[in-house]
Formats: sequence, structure tokens, C-alpha cells
Amino acid sequence: MRVQCQILSEDEKHRVHAESLKILEQVGVKFLSQRALKIMQDNGAKVDQDAGIAKIPAEMVEQALKTAPKSFVLGGRDPARDVALPRPTTGYVLDLGGVFTRDFKTGERRYATLQDNNDAMRVFDEMELSSVVWPHSMVEGDTPNSNAIRLILHSFMNSSLHVQDEFGEPEEVPYIYEAMAAILGSEDAVKERKLYSVTYCTLAPLVHEGGMCNAYLDMIEFEAPILIYPMPCTGSTGPCSLFSNISMGNAEALSSLVLFQMAHPGTPLIFGDASGSTDFASGGFLEGSPEMVLMTAARGEMARFYGLPNTQQGCQTDAKEPGPQAVMEKLLTTMPLVLSGADLVQGPGCLETSGLLCLEQIVVDEEIGGLCNRMREGIDFDDARNLFDDIAEVGPSGHFLMQDSTLEACRSDEFYTPKLFDRHTFERWVDLGRSDTYSKARERVEEILATPQKNPLPDDVIGKLDEIMRRADEELK
Amino acid sequence: MSIEDIFQSILQLKRGEIADLVQAEIDAKTDVGAILEQGLINAMGEVGNQFSEGRLFVPEMLRAAETMKIGLEVLRPLLVEADIKPRGTVIVGTVKGDLHDIGKNLVGMMLEGAGFTVVDLGVDVDPKAFLDAAGENRAQLVAMSALLTTTMPVMADCVGRFKEANLGARLIVGGAPVNQDFAIKISADGYSSDAPGAVELAKNLVPA
Repeated sequence: MRVQCQILSEDEKHRVHAESLKILEQVGVKFLSQRALKIMQDNGAKVDQDAGIAKIPAEMVEQALKTAPKSFVLGGRDPARDVALPRPTTGYVLDLGGVFTRDFKTGERRYATLQDNNDAMRVFDEMELSSVVWPHSMVEGDTPNSNAIRLILHSFMNSSLHVQDEFGEPEEVPYIYEAMAAILGSEDAVKERKLYSVTYCTLAPLVHEGGMCNAYLDMIEFEAPILIYPMPCTGSTGPCSLFSNISMGNAEALSSLVLFQMAHPGTPLIFGDASGSTDFASGGFLEGSPEMVLMTAARGEMARFYGLPNTQQGCQTDAKEPGPQAVMEKLLTTMPLVLSGADLVQGPGCLETSGLLCLEQIVVDEEIGGLCNRMREGIDFDDARNLFDDIAEVGPSGHFLMQDSTLEACRSDEFYTPKLFDRHTFERWVDLGRSDTYSKARERVEEILATPQKNPLPDDVIGKLDEIMRRADEELK
Repeated sequence: MSIEDIFQSILQLKRGEIADLVQAEIDAKTDVGAILEQGLINAMGEVGNQFSEGRLFVPEMLRAAETMKIGLEVLRPLLVEADIKPRGTVIVGTVKGDLHDIGKNLVGMMLEGAGFTVVDLGVDVDPKAFLDAAGENRAQLVAMSALLTTTMPVMADCVGRFKEANLGARLIVGGAPVNQDFAIKISADGYSSDAPGAVELAKNLVPA
């Protein structure tokens, strides 16, 4: 059977759901968007206009759960990289949410550039388990108001995967849709192919932002999928117990589900979670902790409880540089998600609590994902895997290396072949230059960046995207 | 009863006891300046040290600051009477477009603990509001916070407006995406990556 890790019992899932409904009905959720508040009021929420708070009855949640699609496809720019949700195996989301990059040549920590974004896209594109990319956040540049558009369009140019991002202003929407129409060749295909989705983070505790909320309500007409991504931090922006932080995050997610389903029934939603735990010594947000992954895995189980596709934060670390802490924390925060059946894990590529891109970490994280996915597949008890006849043929003593079954299986998925780990003898390892995991990862990055991009957009499409970016620079000054 | 008891009540987070302890010292005619400095401010200095060394956790530091504030309220009328002024006035706020306030709140509470008067403008603060508040309160220092990359340019805008207005207030910045290089680039007067560092910065920029 496949290995199954369970974080919440059936009773505990019902308790989380009941607590979430209690929070929504008795405490309510604050909306900084008047448009959103009106949608909530028109659909049955009790709204306090002065406070901007909507108290949401259970019936609204039930209604929203009925209209939310249970499956859909995140289109890749290359259709071969489409991601159908839910997934039988876990896929991975490149996490470029931070503003810093670890310079590949010097190791210096500095603000990210557009080139860093493009290099990361190129490297991640070559990873087998990659599913979705998040563009980098960027501080520098002469046109900060059109930075988000530039990063998204360059991500399309440098990646063949589905692009997912967060943006803050309704003015950005038309440029992104024009770009997708240019890539796909028609406006009609934009709705159908869904090359782009957005991340919607509520502001814990229990607040929906204004500008972002309005932008997403505009975008909903294009039926773009929305990743609902609460980030309550237990002990600071969330209550200081995992149970209550999970319940509050779940309540925030349900309030988002209600908003978008009431605004446009049938909007594809990914029921995600990026909870954190507090470093009590500094007040900082932690992502590499066991508590973090217990919460995001539990929220993944809540997504399946509701029958919704999900993305969970994982493969994370609070380490400041590549090394043992990064690998241990990332393995710790990936395995429970994979074993509990998460559709997508968001985290590869970053160090320092999602704050620092590290190109070689993308390759190391691919290995971590591969190991975890292998564990998930468990032990195959199919009759075809019962090799009694081989045991009888070889008998006591002897060996199995010459059996046909061994030849067939040695390159099969039953036996994971690591790409980075060293399994040579000591002497051979010395002869090969005593390479370690990260040095092999660096070699792979160098190799990818030295070869031409495999699936570039046609020149005429790139010309159109350049023109859209130029116009955005002018018009969004 | 002694000033040491007041000092210890803050370190031991005994918010229920400090008002009586301060009142007892006032009743005993102890110098109010000494109660303030040796009892309250020194205790928060020690709290800051223990926090910097990782021995004290944030919830404990916040409770200590709250305890100190209760003591300060008892003392305040006498400080006014004795014309003992705060170390300086600091305007704190999260810049326009940004609603994240935990870091900003920590800095504000620690600055109060260090003897500053803190005017907290909250979140989503317009550059003009910073400017107005600094003028109205004759602030020596303005501390701006941002968590979002999209709101960092507001800090630069704010610094520019302060230089133009020539109010004399110094400007410091902080928040996850901010660093020393950014502070230098926008001509801010300082940057700190954490709350105790911000207090040290404030003490350096606003000498007693």
C-alpha cells in the first residue's frame, strides 16, 4: 500500500470545521474592500459597516462548498506541463516570494534582480517534479509600479510551467491578460487554458486586504484559479495553540471561499495554507519548524475533507545558508505533506524563511521531493512483485543479481536513484574530488544555465510581451 | 520596599504588584527621578539585554513593558510636577499600503521602556501623516516599518519629504525586506534588524 500519514482524526477534522464556523459566525471577518463587504452582505452575512466586519453564517459556507470546483487544470505554458488537480502524487511550487538572492557566483546575499528570476525559472524548468512557479519579488528597478507585470511576463518567457503570483492593484490585471492572449494566440483561450493563477493571502488575524481583494474580484471574470493562502503565525498573528491556529486559518480560508464563490460561483479555488510558528526569542515567523508542517499538513487534510484541491507550504527552512540545517528542515517539512497526500508543496528554491533564493537549493530540493515521493509510494504488494519463483530458483546461498526480475526492476520506480547523493566507495569518492550534495547541485545549475533554453516563446510573441511591459511602464508610473 | 523591588517586579513580570510598589516609594518620599531611572528604565534596559541574549522571549518582554507602563502611569503626575522630561519623542508607524504591525509594535514598546515618548500612528500611514505628527509632537525621531516590497518606496518618499521640510527629526527604518544598504540608499539615518537594535539606534541618534 501507499504510505499514508494522518495528522487529524475524523473527529478532529469535524472539530476544526465546527470551530471555524464558530469563529466566522461569532467573531466575523474584517473586509477592507467595500465591494467585498457588499457581496458578503447581499448574500446573507451580518455586516457591521462601521467596523467593516462580516459575520458569516454556516449556510453561506455550505453553499460556497457546493459551487467550488472539485477538480480543474492549471495550464502550463507548455501543455505537456499542465497540472491537473487533485494529483495522485505531490508536485512542487518554486518559492520566490522573498526579495533576496544568494548570488550564485559570490555567495553574497543581495536584493534580487530580474536576471535572478529568469535563472531560477530556467533551473526549475529542468526539474522533474516541478509543477508551478512563483516569480521573484523585486525591490530594485526604475519602474516599481510595473515590477510585478515585468516579473510575471519574464516568468512566462523563461518557464514552460504554470505561473502563480500575488498582485496588489486592479490596474495590473489587463496587462497580464493581454500577455496571456498573446502567448495563447486568442483571448478565448485565456479562460480555457488557465496559464496563470493568483495567491490570495488573508491578513491574520481575520482580515481581508482592500486593493488585492478588489484586484482579484476584477480578475475573477477571467475564471483564473485563486490559491487561498492564510498565513496565521501561532503565537503572534494567530492564537498560541496549533489546534486554534489551524481553526482560525481554516476560518480565514473558508471566508475567502465564501467571498469568491458568492462573487462568481464556480471560481476554481485551491484551498491552501502557509501557517507559521513564532520564534519566541525574536518574534519572527518560522517556516522550518515541526509545528509549521503539522499545521499546513492538517490544513491539507481539511482541504481533502472539503473535497478541494490544495497547496501547502512545505520544503521550507529558516537556515540562512545552504547546509545541514536547510536540508534537515526541508526534509522534515516536506515528508508529512507528501505522506498525507498534498497536491502541491510550495517551498523549493528558498532559504531564510522564504526570503532568499538559492539556485543550487532548487536542485537539492528536487532530491528531497524525490525521496519523499518515493516514500509515499510505499511497498508494492501486487502479485507481480511476489518473486517466490526467483527465491525458489536461486535457493539457499547464491544471489539474485542475474535474475530477469532484478534487471527489470533495477531502473524501475521501486528503487529510487538519487541524483545528488554519493554512494561510491570511500576511495572512489576521493578520486572523484570528494564531492558533496551542494557541489553537485551547483554543477547541475551551471550546466542548465550554460545550455540554450529548451522551449522558448517565438520571437514575435516575445516582441508583443516586450511591448506590453513598455506600455505598463508608461501607464503605471 | 525599595527601588530594587520595583526593578525586580518588572523582571519578574508582576504587573499586579508594581503600582503598589511605586506608590509606596512615592509615599516614602523617594526621589521620583530615581524611581524612574533606577527602578523603571534600568529594569527595561535589563529586559532589553536579556532579550538580545535570547534569554527572554517576546511575550515575556511585552509583559515586562506592560508592567513598566503601569508603574510609569502612577509616577507620571509627579514627573510632570518635577519637570522631568522624557528622553525624547518618537513617531512610529507602518508605511502607506502596508498593514503589518507586529515589528513596529515591538519597537514602540521597547522605546517606551527606554524612556521615550512614543506616538504610534498605526498602520497604512501616509507620508504626510508622519510629517504632521513629527511637527505637532516636535519629535526627534521617526521610525518607519514595512513588510511588503511594494511599500518600501514609501519610505524613500517619506525621507525625501522630511529632508525637504527640514524638521530636524531623524528617520530610521526596519522590516523584513529592508536592510542597511536600502537605508543608506534612501538616505535614512539608520536601520535595525530587530527591536533592541532599534532602541540602541534611537539612543545614539537622540542623546540623553
